[in-house]
Amino acid sequence: MVEVRNLTKRYGVNLALDNVSFTVEEGTIVGFLGPNGAGKSTTMNIITGYLSATSGEVLVAGKNTLDEPLEVKKLIGYLPEQPPLYMDMTVKEYLNFMYDLKKAKLPRAQHLQEICQLVRIEEVFNRLVGNLSKGYKQRVGIAQALIGNPPVLILDEPTVGLDPKQIIEIRDLIKRLGKNHTVILSSHILPEVQAICERIIVVNNGRLVADGATDTLAHDLSKDHRLLLRAEGPEREMVHALRALPRIVEVVSMGEKEPGVYEISVETEPTADPRKDIFALMVRKGWPLMALKNMDLTLEDLFLQLTSTDAASAVHTEETAVEDAEIFERRE
Amino acid sequence: MKAIYKREMRAFFNAPVGYVCVAVLIALYGFMYLQVMAMGSTSVIGSVYSTMFTFGMMIIPIITMRSMSDDQKNKTDQALLTAPVGVGSIVLGKFLACVTVFGFASTLGLLPAVALSFFSSPPWGEIVGYYLGTILYGGAMVSIGVFISSLTISQIIAAIGTFVVAVALMYIDNLASVSSNAVFHAIVGWISFNSRYTTFTQGMFSISSAVFFLSVMAVFVFLTARRLESRRWN
Repeated sequence: MVEVRNLTKRYGVNLALDNVSFTVEEGTIVGFLGPNGAGKSTTMNIITGYLSATSGEVLVAGKNTLDEPLEVKKLIGYLPEQPPLYMDMTVKEYLNFMYDLKKAKLPRAQHLQEICQLVRIEEVFNRLVGNLSKGYKQRVGIAQALIGNPPVLILDEPTVGLDPKQIIEIRDLIKRLGKNHTVILSSHILPEVQAICERIIVVNNGRLVADGATDTLAHDLSKDHRLLLRAEGPEREMVHALRALPRIVEVVSMGEKEPGVYEISVETEPTADPRKDIFALMVRKGWPLMALKNMDLTLEDLFLQLTSTDAASAVHTEETAVEDAEIFERRE
Repeated sequence: MKAIYKREMRAFFNAPVGYVCVAVLIALYGFMYLQVMAMGSTSVIGSVYSTMFTFGMMIIPIITMRSMSDDQKNKTDQALLTAPVGVGSIVLGKFLACVTVFGFASTLGLLPAVALSFFSSPPWGEIVGYYLGTILYGGAMVSIGVFISSLTISQIIAAIGTFVVAVALMYIDNLASVSSNAVFHAIVGWISFNSRYTTFTQGMFSISSAVFFLSVMAVFVFLTARRLESRRWN
């Protein structure tokens, strides 16, 4: 649905985006992660046609943003970092203005009412935008993006300024919207991205440093795969028995943590999942298993690793072989 | 374009700006006409409109100052530029709204003449000439003001810039008359707003002058649109 090809953006001598490419399939929710100034907003601004790229191109539903700008803009609902609100209008006037501006064809009163219900701004419908709290302003900004029911939604930090309850509401809303919209959202709140997005793209210093499914990204990018278990039983025998399991790289005892209970670190092959084997072994031997913990990198560890050490630790899960090769070279 | 025009008009009259601009001009018209009444002669009505023309030019920077700069400052241009409308219609909508406010104030300035016409016979040819000249000159000045507003995010700078240009255009002919440089004379002749304006105030409808002002408007609306477009490439 959205295809970004070799996007580069220069501000004078500053390189804001460096050869960023990714594709977002229809009906997926993609999280755009990165520290401040990584190039998230710049990418979004280019996709929506607010900025132009120094080189590279963006296709939305197969249409090039440069060749058919108006057609592409009709397909996109955009919530910029700072909601583009006119403070001197009421919510009603503003949404009607945006309706006209976007040349929406849906039945006006009904459509606006639906959107207001969706983002819960009915109670401020007749109030001046300038007098609303930050949370309501943000929600009016989201409402504005939904006008005309565009198939692609681009939301730049949609939950900024909302209270925890509202954040949950908006997340649920985005999840619901994600069922029949393509959503690209940016955030630097990891749990949020984990909660909403099916896929994560991490950018840092204008470069794409990771791209993969939310659930497996951390696992795939972890360099060592370890399980930490606690069991009651004879230390040496347990270590030996565990070593004998298939696809185990190394087993180390971490010592006695509770009376008679030992903590053991089990390093596995990257694709192996020996948890069932371990459980079966422990049952067979009559060693009560007290705890079993996956020590893969959390998304947070991964994010810190990817964004703090720059390209040194850059990894890439997409099958773009050329790029991967380059990055691996750099890693070496 | 219609949506933007409507929004701009609403912005003028939601905030006091529109009312103040119109009210100030009308109050001044009233004051000028009071003097006409005191003199008791309709022959001085022409000078009312020529004085009011100067005041009108002073008001234009205030009308146009926020047209483009405000959107840039409040980031509302992100809504406009990512909506399925061309930059041309964005600029045209804003330009027409400013022209409407100025035209509205100028049109209300005809009211005292209408009132006088019940008791006397004001020189309508001259009045209409002044009126048309003011609208056309004003329209051209508005387009320049909108352009200047697009160059900065500060309303104040936009207003002062437009004010300086307005004053310069009013006095550039005087400057030419004291200079003996032929090239300078020729250049002033090409760009002089005043010489085109005075054809109207003498009660003549000059098509070439009208076309001149309309071209100025077209050029500056175009330049503003280019300016908006160019910001994407920064």
